Amino acid sequence: MGRHLAFVAALWRTNLLSAMEYRVSFLTQVVGMMLNNAIYFVFWIIFFARFEEINGWDLVDMLFLFGVVATGFGAGTYLFGNAIRLSSLIASGQMDYYLSLPRPVLLHALASRSNASSAGDFTYGLFSFGAAVIFSGTFNGLMLLRFTLGCLASIAVLISFLVLVQSLTFWIGNTSLLTRHAFNAIVTFSLYPITLFDGTAKLLLFTLIPAAFIGALPAEFVRRFDLLQLAQICAGGGVFLFLSVYVFYRGLRRYESGSAIQVRM
Amino acid sequence: MSNREASVLSPEGCVRNPSAAAVAGKYWAIFRTQLVNSLAYPIDLLGRSLLIVLFMWIFMNLWQVTYGATGARSIAGLTLADTMWYLMMAEAVMLSKRDLSETITEQVKDGSVAYLLNKPFNFILYHFAAGLGDSVLAFGGNLIIGAAVVWLMVGPPPGLTGWIFAGAAVGLSWLLDFCFSALIGLSAFVVEETNAFRWIYQKFLLLLGGVLIPLDFFPAWLQTVSLNLPFAWIIYGPARLFVDPSLARLGQVFLQQGIWLTVVGGIVWVMYRRAAARLVINGG
Repeated sequence: MGRHLAFVAALWRTNLLSAMEYRVSFLTQVVGMMLNNAIYFVFWIIFFARFEEINGWDLVDMLFLFGVVATGFGAGTYLFGNAIRLSSLIASGQMDYYLSLPRPVLLHALASRSNASSAGDFTYGLFSFGAAVIFSGTFNGLMLLRFTLGCLASIAVLISFLVLVQSLTFWIGNTSLLTRHAFNAIVTFSLYPITLFDGTAKLLLFTLIPAAFIGALPAEFVRRFDLLQLAQICAGGGVFLFLSVYVFYRGLRRYESGSAIQVRM
Repeated sequence: MSNREASVLSPEGCVRNPSAAAVAGKYWAIFRTQLVNSLAYPIDLLGRSLLIVLFMWIFMNLWQVTYGATGARSIAGLTLADTMWYLMMAEAVMLSKRDLSETITEQVKDGSVAYLLNKPFNFILYHFAAGLGDSVLAFGGNLIIGAAVVWLMVGPPPGLTGWIFAGAAVGLSWLLDFCFSALIGLSAFVVEETNAFRWIYQKFLLLLGGVLIPLDFFPAWLQTVSLNLPFAWIIYGPARLFVDPSLARLGQVFLQQGIWLTVVGGIVWVMYRRAAARLVINGG
């Protein structure tokens, strides 16, 4: 386990050094993404200025929600950048490289790339959490612990979901359209208050498109401790993680090499 | 030749000006080729249009709860049905427009712009014609699927006038949006990274353009600011015309689109001329 952690840490360090070779581009993307998120959040400021609350959710709840989702999404897609392009790696035969090395294939493939803009999401998420803490007027060490736990669960479910969807490439070939729709669906649903949706829709958001585990559930848990929610977050993260690893390795048996000559620089 | 568009060499070696019909025919052919190309993948076209179902479903939940909570039949003159039909048209325009800034940026960065600059067409107009070919079909798919979903949710759509007026305004919307895309893409001649500009522009469209919320729901000061910016006339203009068509509104939308097209289009033209003059190509 320690060996694998050291290996992943080395990959992350290499990715960071690589990004630092293009500092201006990196910083432009980070700042640009933060501005992008901030402009999007203005919608909710305008909305709640006019309608005050929707089914018990107010602006502070949205700040907590954006805090968890942006931090989780940013950290997840920065540290495991290939999670958003796994299907193209599989379809184009680029898994050959990872298969030929004595390291865990999935972990190696996912952590081999970092997205600069994701660092902007991560930073924005921390700002949003900070703003939520200030406006809610409640902060203590336990809240910070709950925020960390909530973000970790959010990362686990998001990355697992992306791996699960894209693992279908092993069976059905090109899944680029499905991946795009799944990605849009999970991100969009996770950024809306869960109280908008009724029973059937909620069931969907806890299973087929597990956006509730990425946004609403951890955000509510961060705001106030609830043992049941803690159990749900841990169970959700664990189940999706297990499923994604299992399905990916089952699919990997069907992987067909492209036998293409690839140059990695 | 200072202007490749205005003059070409005749077989005799003399410079002659092609007729406007010949120039239009050239871009019509590019548009038609892209249209046929998109039609070759109907499943992909249909699949891309499914995204509007997701957005309409979320909007329905959001605005149903909101209208329910306020207890009002209409907000800022829009009923729930009006709001949903407005959002359907706004999303259909948004999801159909082709973001060519990324393509142009890549062509500038990897130097392939050189291969397009020496062709007998204008680089900017070529991209617009090709993008339009894709947008027309995507718009049709989004309208059919989006309208079917919203009809099931809130009842029948606005009358025929709304469809005609909105349809007329959408063409200029795409042209205005394309000018912004070209501006972002051409900025790759000057700056290293254009992604940030693209994201921020998209978010301005979502918010100040009225994709996420009709501008009528904004506080008065923000509504005034938004209506004095070009983003509103790309999305809000056609979508509002759709649910509340009138000749006065149509005139206002055309006027604003015309003004902004002149301003932004002018900037694009100047930027393109300067960028093409500065272009340095290494290798062969």
